[in-house]
Amino acid sequence: MQTKSRVRCGIDTGGTFTDLVAVDEMTGRLSVSKFPSNPKHPGQAIDGVLKEANLSDGSIESVVLGTTLGLNALLERKGSRVLFLTTRGFEDVLFIQRMNRRYHYSFKWMKPSPFVERCDCIGVEERINARGQILTSLCEKELERVAETIGSKLTEYSGESLSIAVCFLFSYLNPAHELLLKAFLSKRYPQIPISLSHIVAPIWREYERSSTVVVDAFVRPILDDYLKDVGATIRKLGRTTRWTIMKSNGGHADAEVVREQPICTVLSGLSGGAIGAKYFGALVNETNLVTLDMGGTSCDVSLIQDGTLSQVSHYEFDWGIPISAPFLDVSSLGAGGGSIAWVDKGGFLKVGPQSAGASPGPACYDQGGTNPTVTDANLVLGRLNAGYFLGGKMKLNAQRAKEAVQQLATRLRLDCAATAQAIVDVAEENMANAIRVISVDRGIDPRNYALVACGGAGPLHACGIAEKVGMHRIVVPLHPGLCSAFGTLIADFKVDKTLSQYFRSTNVSARIVAKVFRTMVESALREVRAEGYQGKPKIERWVSMRYAGQNYEHDVRVEAVAIDTKELRRIFEHFHLLHKRFYGYSIGDEIIELICFKVSIVGKRPQLRLPDLPRGTPKGPKLKREVYLPGKGFAAYPIYNRDTLITGSILKGPAILEEKDSTIFLHPGHKLSVNRKGVITITL
Amino acid sequence: MKRRKDKPDSVSLTIINNALVNICREMGTSMMRTSYSPIFNEALDFSCVIFTAEGEMIGQAEFCPTMIGSAQYAVKWTIEELGLDTFEPGDVVLHNDPYRGQCHMPEHMVLKPVFLDNKLRFFVANIAHIGEIGGIAPGSFAADATEVYQEGLRLPPVKIISRGEHVKDIWKIILSNHRTPKSSWGDLHAMVGSLNVAENRLLSLLQKYSAGYLADASKLLLDYSERWMRAEIAAIPNGVYEAHDCMEDDGIGSNPVWLRLKLIVKDEEIIADWRDSDPQARGPINATFVVTAAATYSAVLHVTDLNIPRNSGCFRPVRVLTEPGSVVNVRHPGASVGGNTETHPHIQNVVVAALSKAVPEKTAAAEGATACNFLFGGIHPETGEYYTNYHFEGCGWGATAEHDGNSVMCPVNGNCRNTPIEVFETKYPFVTLEYSMVKDSAGAGRYRGGMGSYRRLLVTAPEITVSALFDRTRTAAWGLFGGSNGASAKLLVKRRGQTSFGTFAEVFHTASATKFTRVILHEGDEVIIQSPGGGGYGTPGERSITAIEEDIRQGYISREAAKQAYGYKA
Repeated sequence: MQTKSRVRCGIDTGGTFTDLVAVDEMTGRLSVSKFPSNPKHPGQAIDGVLKEANLSDGSIESVVLGTTLGLNALLERKGSRVLFLTTRGFEDVLFIQRMNRRYHYSFKWMKPSPFVERCDCIGVEERINARGQILTSLCEKELERVAETIGSKLTEYSGESLSIAVCFLFSYLNPAHELLLKAFLSKRYPQIPISLSHIVAPIWREYERSSTVVVDAFVRPILDDYLKDVGATIRKLGRTTRWTIMKSNGGHADAEVVREQPICTVLSGLSGGAIGAKYFGALVNETNLVTLDMGGTSCDVSLIQDGTLSQVSHYEFDWGIPISAPFLDVSSLGAGGGSIAWVDKGGFLKVGPQSAGASPGPACYDQGGTNPTVTDANLVLGRLNAGYFLGGKMKLNAQRAKEAVQQLATRLRLDCAATAQAIVDVAEENMANAIRVISVDRGIDPRNYALVACGGAGPLHACGIAEKVGMHRIVVPLHPGLCSAFGTLIADFKVDKTLSQYFRSTNVSARIVAKVFRTMVESALREVRAEGYQGKPKIERWVSMRYAGQNYEHDVRVEAVAIDTKELRRIFEHFHLLHKRFYGYSIGDEIIELICFKVSIVGKRPQLRLPDLPRGTPKGPKLKREVYLPGKGFAAYPIYNRDTLITGSILKGPAILEEKDSTIFLHPGHKLSVNRKGVITITL
Repeated sequence: MKRRKDKPDSVSLTIINNALVNICREMGTSMMRTSYSPIFNEALDFSCVIFTAEGEMIGQAEFCPTMIGSAQYAVKWTIEELGLDTFEPGDVVLHNDPYRGQCHMPEHMVLKPVFLDNKLRFFVANIAHIGEIGGIAPGSFAADATEVYQEGLRLPPVKIISRGEHVKDIWKIILSNHRTPKSSWGDLHAMVGSLNVAENRLLSLLQKYSAGYLADASKLLLDYSERWMRAEIAAIPNGVYEAHDCMEDDGIGSNPVWLRLKLIVKDEEIIADWRDSDPQARGPINATFVVTAAATYSAVLHVTDLNIPRNSGCFRPVRVLTEPGSVVNVRHPGASVGGNTETHPHIQNVVVAALSKAVPEKTAAAEGATACNFLFGGIHPETGEYYTNYHFEGCGWGATAEHDGNSVMCPVNGNCRNTPIEVFETKYPFVTLEYSMVKDSAGAGRYRGGMGSYRRLLVTAPEITVSALFDRTRTAAWGLFGGSNGASAKLLVKRRGQTSFGTFAEVFHTASATKFTRVILHEGDEVIIQSPGGGGYGTPGERSITAIEEDIRQGYISREAAKQAYGYKA
């Protein structure tokens, strides 16, 4: 038993692999491991990674877990049967949706289905108006009738896992009826979990709020089972091991807290990658970053400005099905190693969004796939090592890759290598576009940002993407393929609260604003304590505002601790300024509407201490390999093992660096250097 | 910065095409976030386009499909009318003239030339629906207008910004003719702001590729789209296909107004001949030529590949023939505000009906094809401020050869979102008593149509002035290949204290029950708006028992209706 160790551990449960990164805070020793995921028993894979990293001996102090299970449950639509209770007359809100369609010119497109059946939408006689006043009371007789209806549903659906979602009109202004209904029903049916819309998402717009509360109810049992299964595994490690779950907002929280807010964990897996990338950027003093996490089927991008990951309050994982909850602003596009290249009817080369997935996978996996993928193109170009994929755990078949790419080459009337190069170019342009969308769309010039390349395939394409976007620096983290697990390891505690309350600059006082924030901060503080944070947290407050008549808001930060008339005036003035800066004009005498109040509380975790790279003399390349370069064709270029690099190593492209979970392709003319912690910077 | 001298290959073309579309999308985002009217920011009723200096549309992100016609023509005609020499760096031209390429008067286009090295290289334009432009009815939707002068302020192409400076006199004229000038000011600035965004992005694209290379790429992209569209049309069997439909009335008289089409498919080309349609109507249901063209294009796009880049090239093989002075090509001073919302989807549906005879598997039965335009305004009792609002509904879509029609969708000419009840009631003095799908409103068939919606509103202000422009209350969305028609639309009203609802003609003695302006409602009055259902596809007898039973279980159809329409017995 190692009594002197204090191990912090981050584990990411992905669809195919469960990854672990652990750091011993006493010795600085870093361990990593990978184990196939088991969706039915996630605890088993966690047991697996812990054993593989020799960490099953009780030396672990804390574990943070990230998971894509919630998201997968939604994607596969395997969750609880939800009974949806809403104001009578509005039972169809989830089916009417917003009336718009995804494609302008398609008879084929079908509206997305909500996570509830129409026959399970139950109207309740009650009504609150736009001022929060009760127009129709929710009476005892109606409560009794609703309970009876639910009773008969219970009989009808006996044996199924059931949960209840409630969304009454204007409940974000006056929650009395939602609370009353829950109190009544939980006495009658204590076994059925109930989600209330004003708690899950206290925002206006009934469709978005209803959709969110239904998703919350839908994933509840999945998360519950996950927590039970994982809890049993972790408890075996010893009583003192603290374990928390990664949230979609980039924070993490005690299992008992997230159990009550399933909606907060649906993007748990995505946020880990962005946080990991931000950490490594900071290690090489880069605080303005674009993060790119490219794996087998998808590529996630996010933007970090002045060391801060931007946050959004709205996410659509399926077009037209919104979820309103705090999320790190990570966008995902269908571009990964497995993305399939094809030629459209007009003769243009396209890559993705269809993917060969993990099975059959790219043609070179030799599992029956015949479509050419990005991975196949990389293999044809000599950028990947057929014998060292996943550290040699998986042999790639170069012949199959060539055959697959050749099919396309014949159609495009190009040679095989030029076709492979074109596939890579198109894929990289798609990702470059995704970067422009998250930056240029918001008025940010990505050329002043550094690109952090994560995921198994990120470092392979980083140079190409950076060139296309016009970026000058690339950061490659340690173990780029395990960046999500790294992120969970270093995530802070974080609670975000949003409240829709409508005021106008003409009828609001500093006292009212102060009161709204006081209530919100108090509740957020209670929550962050319950999540397990002990220290002094950082509190931030914003008001979302717009000119009367506009429809989209800008957030203005509250700066003074106490909100008085002077501070309120400053907030309004700052709004005019922001509007001018973003859109080139402001309207000084216009009424400003206050739409929404936001509070964010962050509890910092202690800094992580990574070990230094060993000193010594650098080793040369392990071999040379034929690699294709556009305009030059195939020639032998040096291949390095990343493990043999030392502090201060400098390499010039073209070169390839291989490690177990990733490959770096250094373009001609680019310069690579290694810092003390082993983090790589590439200069273009 | 690299200067390209070579000819663009197919990979570069893909990349440039994406870049152009992305610029248009960025324009849209900027527009949505800064605009004032809900019609922009909730409904997204605008389109962003890039043109070559020759007036060819080369990139576009239409947020609202109806504008694909005006985008095509209005820019080209404006350039022809003003002449290329008129344009100087920093200019912005504004234009909403329905006789010069706009869909109807509320649609305003701003156009800016993009110069590099003192040479005009591109135009960027943005077409958007300005909510209030004056005229006889608040909300500028005059359902009983007989002349353009009643519909609001008409602007031929005029510079509102000249070499970067506001042309103050023009702005004064515009803002003193709109009822809510502050909104107009904000919306127009949002539009101009989006042009600046696009100009900057185009300039960096020009620098990256060089002007010559981009000009070559533009030509190749136009040809590429044309080639692809020709291949798609070639797959449609040759023939002459006829179809027709009518507008139930024009708001002035009570007779139907007919739209008659002869669609000629010949090899790689389509000719849509509308010349047998009725003469121009007195009321505002006349379509401008560009509306008829846009509706025709829209139908063709529905039966061809979704991925064809939508530039001018893809419309080269489609010709639209109309008689000036007819319901499908209004002549000055005819009224046209409803032509863009009501007649447009009717025209589109007629083209689809004609195409259904050629490519049945690619088409759909008729949709509701009315926006159920309902306009209101007044003094808000709580703020004491003047407000107007343009409200519209979704309708049932037609069924297809593969599936049931979607329920409660924006009609095909737009792609607008509904206004949430919680937003609506926060802004306007109504309480919504119900918003639901209408049971039994779908046309029966092997696949059934989509359902329409039902909305019941209670007035909570002392006075609200309302106007309406509906269609398909006496006609219906037709079924295809034995499918039944969908249910018709309804617009009903009940005075406070009354027990039953009646039409506006019955209660307020309006000339038309569904096309009228300026009726005053009082506190306690109620309005019911019911949108039409979509038509069915294939005979009802072919519908599977499982599908019928599932519809009964989910409450989409009653047992009685199932028995009647499908002969269903439990």
